[in-house]
Amino acid sequence: MKDILSLFFAYARSGLKSRFQYKVDAIVVIFAVFLREAGGVIAMYLALQKFGTINDWSIDELLFLFSLIFITYGIFIVFFMALRDFPDWIKHGDFDRVLLRPRGVLTQLVLCGADWLAAFGHGTLGILLLIISANRVGVEWNVKTVLYYLMCVIGGVLIQGAVFLAFSAITFYVLETNSLKEIFYWNMRKFAIYPLSIYNKFIQAILIFVVPFAFVNYFPAQFFLQKPDMASYPTWFMYITPIVGIVLYALAYAFWRFSLRFYKSTGN
Amino acid sequence: METMINVENLCKTFKIQRRSTGFTGAVKNIFRPTYEYKKAVNDVSFSINEGEMVGFIGPNGAGKSTTVKMLSGILHPDSGSISVAGYIPHKQRKDYVANIGVVFGQKSQISWDLSPLDSYEVIKHIYRIPDKLYKDNLERYTELLDMSDFIDRPVRQLSLGQRMRADIAAALLHSPKIVFFDEPTIGIDVVGKDKIRRFIKTLNETDNITMIFTTHDMQDIEQTCQRLIIIDDGKKLYDGSLENVKSGCVSTRIIEAEIEDMTNGIDIDHTQITHDESSGKLIVTFDTDKISTSEVMSQLMSTNSVKDISIKEPGIDAVIRDIYEGKIKVRAATRVSADASVGAVAFSNVCHRQTAPQADTRF
Amino acid sequence: MNRYLQFAVIRFKSKTAYRFDYFLGILNSLLSFVVYYSIYKALYGGAQSIDGISFSMVTTSFLISLGLSSAFNKNEMFLQDKIKQGTIANELLKPVNFKLRMLFEDAGEGAFNVVFNFLPTALIAALFANICAPSGAINMLLCIASVILGYIVLWQISFIVQCWSFWLFSVWGLVTIKNVVINILAGSYIPMWFMPEKIRSILRFTPFESIYFMPVQLYLGGLSQWEILLGFLRQLAWIAGLYVIGELCWRSGIKRLVIQGG
Repeated sequence: MKDILSLFFAYARSGLKSRFQYKVDAIVVIFAVFLREAGGVIAMYLALQKFGTINDWSIDELLFLFSLIFITYGIFIVFFMALRDFPDWIKHGDFDRVLLRPRGVLTQLVLCGADWLAAFGHGTLGILLLIISANRVGVEWNVKTVLYYLMCVIGGVLIQGAVFLAFSAITFYVLETNSLKEIFYWNMRKFAIYPLSIYNKFIQAILIFVVPFAFVNYFPAQFFLQKPDMASYPTWFMYITPIVGIVLYALAYAFWRFSLRFYKSTGN
Repeated sequence: METMINVENLCKTFKIQRRSTGFTGAVKNIFRPTYEYKKAVNDVSFSINEGEMVGFIGPNGAGKSTTVKMLSGILHPDSGSISVAGYIPHKQRKDYVANIGVVFGQKSQISWDLSPLDSYEVIKHIYRIPDKLYKDNLERYTELLDMSDFIDRPVRQLSLGQRMRADIAAALLHSPKIVFFDEPTIGIDVVGKDKIRRFIKTLNETDNITMIFTTHDMQDIEQTCQRLIIIDDGKKLYDGSLENVKSGCVSTRIIEAEIEDMTNGIDIDHTQITHDESSGKLIVTFDTDKISTSEVMSQLMSTNSVKDISIKEPGIDAVIRDIYEGKIKVRAATRVSADASVGAVAFSNVCHRQTAPQADTRF
Repeated sequence: MNRYLQFAVIRFKSKTAYRFDYFLGILNSLLSFVVYYSIYKALYGGAQSIDGISFSMVTTSFLISLGLSSAFNKNEMFLQDKIKQGTIANELLKPVNFKLRMLFEDAGEGAFNVVFNFLPTALIAALFANICAPSGAINMLLCIASVILGYIVLWQISFIVQCWSFWLFSVWGLVTIKNVVINILAGSYIPMWFMPEKIRSILRFTPFESIYFMPVQLYLGGLSQWEILLGFLRQLAWIAGLYVIGELCWRSGIKRLVIQGG
């Protein structure tokens, strides 16, 4: 463990150093990412000035919901950037280098590539929203709720990690998976930001069973907020985010292990 | 001496999607792709002793890189066996790769925005290099590769040659027993190439590191390796001493002659005669085992009035090129024992040439 | 002028090479539309109209914004790439107006996006969403004219931001920030009708208000002739003003380039 941590910090030091070669630029980029993500939040805030609530969710409750997606993405991108950009790793031959080093393949991929600027952008936005909203929505923080919140964050990170791990494994067969990711991750994420109940049944089913973003933010938020629209879903959905995360990640990991042997180095 | 690398009947086939064009083609590519199969490495065997330095050459797409990638554990072979330093590379990857270093001339492993030193720090952690070893190696390579001027400067400010030297050091920090160099001199100027070659040679001599060196520059090979493996179309064409290749066509001679009247048909037994349009010269190629040089000369002189005449031996580049083009036929040698000197190869009978060799040809 | 049109045509054609991207692009646009459609459907909560604005007016406004955004979906790192690669000098030596060429190439790409991305998206969207019909042929033409003016406003703002690449290491951050500001303030994230009155009164003094909202109002009808005239004049005034600013940025950027030697 100590060894893994020291490797992570070695990577982090060099990653941060290289991203902060141009300090002003780095700060502008962090701010830009922050603002880009905040755009939807601001628009929602302005709209609710007019409409009051959306499916009975007040703006503070929405901010609490939003905070989960940004915090989990902020952490996710520290550990899974290499998998997000995995087709490029293969295309440019970087994956060969990973195979040439005496460490686990996934260990290296997970530890090495943090998109620090995106992580700071999403992370600060998420934490800010959490701080603003947590008290106002009346979450009672005690050992149990704090622990569950943390487990949900980890579960949310793992769910998104599992999606990317699975797509990276597919990359071994078809090389180009950016389009698939666009459809199944980025577009689904657009939906996932807002309360699940505003969508039609088909989209809801996708967000619960296919790309289970609903377990990243909607169901955990329901645990804390208990909104009436939860009535359309089984109550136990509120409690299983950590399990969904672990199970999905384990499945994706098995698929990844299986697919690794099909790797064809492209090189030249 | 101990065998370090042993490869037997190695095969690797790639499945390549044949892309159809046009709109219907694009749809077809998605739903009903068609494939073709290319044998990248086809039944290759060789063995290399500890401390040997072997040049690995072949035209683009010959299967060099694929072989190196299988040797380094990146690719799984379809069939055949590989054993390096007692490991099976693709099966014991993690343990195995701690023993090897790989330098890709086309793909750097040090970060563009950082100094080589910063990247080395990360590599130290990845390979779990002990402090003492790391310090000693760093000091030594900095001196040998003459890196003290730029080791703490961002890589983006370095010349290609400097970057390559930094990259070579990066691959050696963990004191590997075996090092693969994949085109380490590509695109580098003469001085830079020379520094790299000398370093590689020194390291091979002092540390007894086993090395495989792929390149397109025959001078790399001439200055560093004693042994040469030539591969083309996935097959091993030659395996033996460099000296043998150089002298392999020693019996081939080319006479270039300028002749007064070219209208007469010239025909000499056991020779091939062509007419080079651009220089207007007559080019006579023959094998001294079949006909002596003086015999060719006298026949030529007796039937024509010769203005100018010269005799040439093919250079190493030309020999290699002709091996690729199949103009020189070599018997693929199977090494009988692990002793390099036994791996001598007999060139089969004649070196038939269609065109005159250019001593400075690069491929 | 013919030559510049040629630039647009070439860009249009070159875009047709990536066929799989069509479908993906359409899906992306469609899903973006569905997100906003769902949000406002929930906000309306079954109400026919709020403040005299019907739900189908809202969906129509999102669709029109989507059309203009899709026309404007282009590579905004173009100038930076040219400067970074050092090829800007070669471009300036060619006997064409670089800025005009850029505009026409972008317009070619925009035309492609409208035909192959926006129109299919709009057709599919019309299957499930209630979209208002245009309020008349003349209004439709005025709407298109206003979209074109809106495009030019967007293009010039983008050009001004891109010009910063003469001074900055990277303009990605600035471009992103600019786009957020435009998306919120010009009403592509929230229809201008629902913008809090205070903000809207400030927006009247910016070029943002008319970019997306003017075409929407023309399409839906109901503007008086006087308002239409004023709207167009305002758009034209902003185009002129932004042109001057853009030209100043461009010239001092070139001057810097010449002094520093790229």
